[in-house]
Amino acid sequence: MAKKGNTGRKGLSPSQWVKIRKVSQVVFFIIFLILFFWSRREFYLNPSIESGFKEDLVNIPLKLDPLVMIAQAIASRKILKGSLLALFTLVLTYILGRVWCGWFCPMGTILEWLPIRTWKKRQPSVPEWFRGIKYVLLLVILFSALFTNLTLLFLDPLTIGYRTLTTAIWPGLDKFVTFLELKLISIPFLSAAVGGFDSLIRPAIFPAHPAFFRYGLLYFGFFISLIVLNVLAPRFWCRYLCPLGGLLGLLGKVSLVGCEIESSCSTCGKCIPECPTGAIKDEEGVYCDPGECTMCLVCAENCPGDSVKFPFKITKFLREPYDIDRRKVLLSLGATAVGVGLLETNFAGQLLPPTPIRPPGVMNERFLSACIRCGECSTVCPTNAIQMAVFDGGVEGFWTPVVVPRIGYCDYSCNACGQVCPVEAIPPLSVEEKRVQVIGKAHVDRERCLPWAEDQECIVCEEMCPIADKAIELELVEAPDGEGGIKILQRPVVIRKLCIGCGICETKCPVAGEAAIRVWVPTGGNKNGHNHHG
Amino acid sequence: MTDLSRKEFLRFLAASLGSIYLSGCMDQDKLLSKSLSPDKITPTPFLPDPQNTNSTDPTSEPEEIPTQEPSATPDSVYPDLAVARKGDPEQMVRAAVESLGGMGRFVKPGDVVVVKPNICASYHSYEYAATTNPWVVGAVVKMALESGAKQVKVMDFPFGGTAEQAYRASGIQAEVQKAGGKMVVMSNIKFVETAIPNGKDMKSARIYDDVLRADVLINVPIAKNHELALLTLGLKNLMGVIYDRPYMHINLGQRLADLSTRVPSNLVIVDAVRMLMAHGPTGGNLADVKKADTIIASPDIVAADSYAATMFGYEPDQLIYIKKAVQMGLGIKNLSKLNIKEIDLG
Repeated sequence: MAKKGNTGRKGLSPSQWVKIRKVSQVVFFIIFLILFFWSRREFYLNPSIESGFKEDLVNIPLKLDPLVMIAQAIASRKILKGSLLALFTLVLTYILGRVWCGWFCPMGTILEWLPIRTWKKRQPSVPEWFRGIKYVLLLVILFSALFTNLTLLFLDPLTIGYRTLTTAIWPGLDKFVTFLELKLISIPFLSAAVGGFDSLIRPAIFPAHPAFFRYGLLYFGFFISLIVLNVLAPRFWCRYLCPLGGLLGLLGKVSLVGCEIESSCSTCGKCIPECPTGAIKDEEGVYCDPGECTMCLVCAENCPGDSVKFPFKITKFLREPYDIDRRKVLLSLGATAVGVGLLETNFAGQLLPPTPIRPPGVMNERFLSACIRCGECSTVCPTNAIQMAVFDGGVEGFWTPVVVPRIGYCDYSCNACGQVCPVEAIPPLSVEEKRVQVIGKAHVDRERCLPWAEDQECIVCEEMCPIADKAIELELVEAPDGEGGIKILQRPVVIRKLCIGCGICETKCPVAGEAAIRVWVPTGGNKNGHNHHG
Repeated sequence: MTDLSRKEFLRFLAASLGSIYLSGCMDQDKLLSKSLSPDKITPTPFLPDPQNTNSTDPTSEPEEIPTQEPSATPDSVYPDLAVARKGDPEQMVRAAVESLGGMGRFVKPGDVVVVKPNICASYHSYEYAATTNPWVVGAVVKMALESGAKQVKVMDFPFGGTAEQAYRASGIQAEVQKAGGKMVVMSNIKFVETAIPNGKDMKSARIYDDVLRADVLINVPIAKNHELALLTLGLKNLMGVIYDRPYMHINLGQRLADLSTRVPSNLVIVDAVRMLMAHGPTGGNLADVKKADTIIASPDIVAADSYAATMFGYEPDQLIYIKKAVQMGLGIKNLSKLNIKEIDLG
């Protein structure tokens, strides 16, 4: 990472540096993907991990993200040890400017690779004040965090990356591969080969049984729309919207190393349309706004006169019209107060407060102030029980994790979500501790349950119940056997004090549509498992 | 731009469409699962085949069938069923199988063997008797390899937790790998729709391809409580090879018997080292576990299940799937008609 003190003069030429930067982008993108798949694989294959460095390792990208870590620390009023890694990024940015955006960020890399349209001749005609949006977003996120609200962290580029990979790209690929396999396996001479291929990729890369995420299209659409915005300007997201870019841009303004256009510049203007973020301006001389510069070095590569340098020196904060000013601060503060206030007044007009089932061990009253909306818990959940809320967690809880037992159950032998959570919003519990967390209580719907409503034999919920003494008992009753006689029928009854709400009964209930046994959050919320015992 | 003439193109199109159509026409079931058709699996020459001797007529009245129950031929070279007690698990498995004529009677050199233990969930270790004893499974794998098996695959389809976790938590993975066998995670796409020609109620099911293709299936259930079926034993253990289990629960007894006609076990080894007496099939309470140190082995799945049922104090007939299997002529439930070899290793 020691890169550009000597740019141009001796050593590497600017275009060589650009190549190194591209390699760095590819390498970090691959590392991001590997960590994603590895986290999935490690936890999927071995969910009952007690502790160790694995979960720290898989979370490194998020822990390096200063926006997420600062907002989380403010909102939860607690500084986690792991969050301190974000200081590294801040220091790096102070020294080298927004290298995060140009060299490492996987979102930036994708947006740079998919420019959709190249703007070779001029900079796009998006108004310059749009650049201020990212600063307003940044301020709103930080002010909201003061009010313990983290809702807008779903706009952090890394959480977008994780969420999209988890809920759309990876299961989408899985479905596509499954589709191909199913078609090919029915061709006789290929079936053995397809079977062999299948055992190679499952469970190593894809799960043995297809993962399911609700609203995959929504996540994918959100992600694609960020890419499509590139039509308006290259790296539209990074230029105008990204709140993390805003934070790093503020530091980049005074970074020790920054783009400087020397007086030898012939003002030919070649570099101006080349700059992917439009950081170079030609107003009373050509200069670069270091707050917008991602240190991509394309300008230096294109400069015919070798006038673009990256010297090491103290830089003065140079204000641009779109930078943070008093108006923006007041606007953000006002927007935050109104927004957070509206959330408090239940402006969505929900009659009943949302009572989502949260992952095990979550304490509701502080969960929304701790969860960074990254969706890693959803990534590692081996049964797909953990889904991302849209509105089932309330407006404030947009894209926070909820347990949806009809899709998957909280596996009795798994504690992966708490292990992988980068901010302990889901506490890291041992398997034994997790097993006594009450996340809900099951209720039999006697109007729909087969043995209750139709005198049919079915004990699936009792059979599946993982509790040692069975939280579902079978009541014996006499019922007509359909042939004029009497049979002994077993009917499920939930033993409330034993039920932990894992939801395997709801997942596996064979009744069509909604299950005839469903898990609900107990009245008073799922504050803490132990409150409900004894 | 192209050198392809219209004629060539049409010919090519016709050929490809034809081949796609043909592949669709072919009976997928037969092509995918060349192997375990019931006739190929018919028991070894040493034991009269109950299926054949008993001219199974699906239309005959159930009441009549028990009277057709074949009696074991007295001059059988080997006993119908062997029970070993009071040894360590591997000793008992070896003793029981040895007295049935040794593993070589069931596994021929070059065979691909599937061992199907009961690994129903990932919740507990083997002491809780919800999953088959790992050393029993390990011993079966070793013996199959000693008899020249080309490959021994061990698999189940847990309903609770992932297979990977269940394989590890049960301790079975470690013993199987030590013994040289392979743990297979059952994958969605390899459950192939398969006709069950001899099924009375269940005429087809998605059955796991590896099981269908195996030369030998060794069924290694653990004897444990189950509220609907009373007990889960060998016949019930076969449920792990099909995809849609909730469907099986309707008319469970008959459907288990139907399944066994399509996926017959060449050898059944019931693990009663520990028996789960209550709160099955998942368990979790050591107070529900009874240490019985017993292994039951038989090529007759009905006989093995019937013997195991008596260890819980049930009459074989009380287990609906035994009753249905006997009606279909799948084996002998009447222990007094069986030639049983009891071995006490204690």
